[in-house]
This record gives sequence, structure tokens and C-alpha cells, in this order.
Amino acid sequence: MNSPVEFDPYDYATQDDPFPGYKALRDHAPVYRSRKHGFWLLSRYDDVLAAVRDAKTFSSRIITLEPLTDEELPPLVITSDPPDHGRLRHLIAPMLTPAAVAPLGEDIRQLTRRLLAPLLPSGRMDAIVDFAQRLPMAMMCRLLGVPMEDEDDLRRWTDMAVDRKDGVFTTTEENNLANQSIYRYFETQYQQRLADPAPRDDLLGRLMAAEKEGRISHEEFLGFGYMLALAGSETTRKLLGNMIYYLWKFKDQWKLLQQDPSLLGSAIEETVRYNGPTHMMGRLVTTDITLHGQTLKRGDKVGVLLMSGNRDERKYTNPDVYDIRRNPRDHLGFGGGLHACVGAALARLEVKIAIQELLHAIDDYHVIESACTRTHSPQVRGFANLPIEFTLRT
Amino acid sequence: MKVTFIQPDGKEQDVDVNPGTTLMEAALFEGVPGILGMCGGICSCATCHCHVEADDFGRLPAAAAGEIEVLDGLEQRRPNSRLACQITMDDALEGIRLHVATGA
Ligand code: HEM
Ligand code: FES
Repeated sequence: MNSPVEFDPYDYATQDDPFPGYKALRDHAPVYRSRKHGFWLLSRYDDVLAAVRDAKTFSSRIITLEPLTDEELPPLVITSDPPDHGRLRHLIAPMLTPAAVAPLGEDIRQLTRRLLAPLLPSGRMDAIVDFAQRLPMAMMCRLLGVPMEDEDDLRRWTDMAVDRKDGVFTTTEENNLANQSIYRYFETQYQQRLADPAPRDDLLGRLMAAEKEGRISHEEFLGFGYMLALAGSETTRKLLGNMIYYLWKFKDQWKLLQQDPSLLGSAIEETVRYNGPTHMMGRLVTTDITLHGQTLKRGDKVGVLLMSGNRDERKYTNPDVYDIRRNPRDHLGFGGGLHACVGAALARLEVKIAIQELLHAIDDYHVIESACTRTHSPQVRGFANLPIEFTLRT
Repeated sequence: MKVTFIQPDGKEQDVDVNPGTTLMEAALFEGVPGILGMCGGICSCATCHCHVEADDFGRLPAAAAGEIEVLDGLEQRRPNSRLACQITMDDALEGIRLHVATGA
């Protein structure tokens, strides 16, 4: 195929602003084959939704597009297909429904206030380093039932595990070492709990009970710890960072939210649609399938571009406008189908309370754009540093 | 085991469901139109809303408070409304029939 479009999600330049590339793909190459890497990319809303809903044709056995390394990851909910997928997911899903996470609200608010209190008097903070990255990992520690003091270690390892170097299309030694540290950490937690048989009503406690009942293997137990530590923190941090950024960049939207805080739920959905953290997920084709005249073969890898689907003008009117009144309930920012984000209700609650507390404390703020930095990954995008200056409400 | 999904136009589709699987998961895996499953079963999106056939409704375990809250927000809410993702297949549900509710 002689495609006029060139798009490489592994290129840092692409990651800095992938949206023009997404549009070119949607318009000219909706089923795009990367000549450089061999994988396919789907970019239109309808195609992305169809792919994530069709787990039979699009397997989750691979969710990253890099060549597989020797390192075997233990079985994870996110990389399993039915029936294993349901067996694993059902263990945690009931603890993460909106009704189940609602009681955490009070804790989230306390923690948010504790984090903000020392930052407010100075009138400046790094909205990621000082705030957005602390809250989700601390809540994840709480949910898992591991010591809050371990938050920094876990964050360092999970950051290292997902970092990708410019243009490099493999996982690195650093990624593998970070993965091992996370597994070792949960193995240690496991051993400590074996030594102290007091029953614990937290996620690790329930997963250990499931292992004891033979419903999951020990590797699957460790996989859950790994998965939750990874998925439960960096994405939420990035969503919160993006929201703080866009409410500044489109200042009228901040004003609107100040005037009518009941728009907050809608504003969160719009942020996840407009530029949510997760841009791409990988899938493995299980049977030949023809789409827009191209045939994807069994064994081919496909990247589904969630954020491109969210900007598809075939689906949304004025998709490139950030409008906190839009309330898109059908966006792809949390995926969709069997693997749709199981932590979405928790993420929404954390971001809601965090922004409520900011609205409560801050009148106006300014992002120091020249000092912002980004993390690098073809799949999850967001700020690493987001310095802001603000004035308090009187 | 088998359940039947019925489309608004009356078209029926029998779907195999293993015990322990939710009806939303089975519908998605077999490609039942109209069951979008956007939230993957965390009881937040209502895109798996069904009207359970009257005779079968009583065979289902009662809905939890969280599910009822979601259902109560739906335009097409009926007494026999359920979210397919909150129904886990077991022996008692063999042959159950559900109407796919369009537009959540
Ligand atoms: C804004 C925050 C978040 C975003 C944007 C996000 C995004 C996503 C997306 C797009 C998927 C689908 C992956 C796929 O289709 O292959 C996913 C899956 C997942 N997420 Fe999240 N996530 C967020 C927060 C969380 C939180 C807080 C948790 C933990 C409680 C979590 C745990 C998971 C897990 C375990 C899966 C795999 C589910 C499965 O395979 O069945 N996520 N997430
Ligand atoms: S799939 Fe979302 S509520 Fe059932």
C-alpha cells in the first residue's frame, strides 16, 4: 500500500501533538499500516468502538505494539481474553462500581485538603509533582491495603515501567527492572500477610482469599498488584493535570465552571474526550478481517487510537472545541467493551473532588507553559511538570 | 447454557453463556447489536439496558441499590428493566429472554 500518510506513535514529535496526524489518518488512511513497524492503526470512532467491543476478533493478548521481549509478564486482567478475563475482572469490578467507591469520597477529600494546605500560601505549585501525582497513588495504596509510605517507591517504579525512549520500539532493561521491582514488592506484601493472619478487608486481602480458594493463581495475584499500581495512578494523575491545563488554556471554561460547579461531571467527561491520558491500546487480530478495503491478517497487531476516535468529526460536532457543557457519555477515553476501564468510577471521583477543592480555594491561575514537561509513551500522554501560579479566593 | 436477546425489530439471537459470565459479556462476545457495554460492567453507563421478558423477570436475583439508581435515571425505565452486566449466568437463568432497550 502506498499511503500518503506517515504516522509513528513512537516518535516523540508525534507524541507532542498527535492530533493533526490523527486527523490525517481518519481522513486518508482509516486503516493504516505502518511500513516502519508493521502494525495497523484504527482511527475513526466507529472502527475503534467496533474493535474494542469485538474481543473475539481483536484479542487483548497484546496491548502494546512493541516486539515481545523474553520477559514473561504474569497473566493480567488487561491482557487476557474470555473466559479468563471475566474470571479475573469479576474479582475486582464489584469493588469499583460508582456505588462501591462513593464511600471513599470523604477520604479523598481529606487527603486532597491535606495535600493542598501547605501549597496554598505560596501561590504556586507544580500541579503534577506537588498535587496530581500524590492523590491517586495514595488512594491506590489505601485501596490495596499497603502502607502509604510506599507511595513514592511505587510511583517511581510504575513511572519507569511505562517510560519509552524517543523512537525506540522495544521495551528496555529499565522497563524490565521496574516491572521486577513491582512484582517483588507485592510478593513481599504477600509474605508479610501470610505471617500475620488477621483478615484484612482490602483489595489485596480479597485477592489473597481468592488465591487461597483456588480461583486465581499466585502469578495472577501478583499480576493484579502490578496492574492496579500501574493503571490506578498514572492515568488519573494525567487526567487531573490535563484538566488543570485546559481549564487555564480555555479560561472561559474555568469561569463557566466557577459560575456553575454542577458542570463538573460533564467537564470531566469532556476532558477525557478532548485529551484523555490513554491514546492508544494494542490488539491482536485472531481471524482475517477486511475493513475499508484492507485485510488485516490473523496474527497482525493493531493499535486502536482512542483519542483519535474522540476527535472524529464523523461522531462529534466541533470535536476540536473543548466545551465543558458537552457532557459526552459515549467517548472512548476509558475504552469500551469487556476491557473498558474498571477504575473509571474511582478516577472520576478523585478528579471530581480534586477539582472541587481547587475551585474552592483558587480564584484564578496561570500555567507557566515554558516550564511544562511531558512524559513519554505512545499510549499514555500527559504532563510530568505543570507549574502554576494562582491567586486565592477571598 | 443459552439466553435470547430480542432486538427492537423483533429479531431474536440465541447466545451461549457460560456460568459465571455476565449477560452483557456474552452479548458482546457474540456481537449482539445494541448492547454496547461501554463501561465494561462497572454499572455506570447503562448501555447494556434490557427489558427482561415478564415471565422471566422473577427468576432474576434482585438488583442491587447501585443498579437501581442507574436504572431510575433512564428514559426507557420499566418495571422489568435490568442492566445485562449485573446479571451473572447460572442454572436458574437458562433460556431467559431479554429485549435490547435502544438509546439506554
Ligand atoms: C483517568 C484515569 C484513567 C484512564 C484514562 C484509564 C483508561 C483505561 C483504558 C482506556 C482502559 C482500556 C484498556 C483496553 O481496552 O485495553 C483501561 C483499563 C483498565 N483500567 Fe483504567 N484508566 C484510568 C484509571 C484507572 C484506575 C483509577 C484504575 C484502578 C482502580 C484503573 C484500572 C484499570 C484496569 C485494571 C484496566 C483493565 C481492565 C480490563 O482489562 O478488564 N484505571 N483503563
Ligand atoms: S455495561 Fe455499563 S452499565 Fe452495564
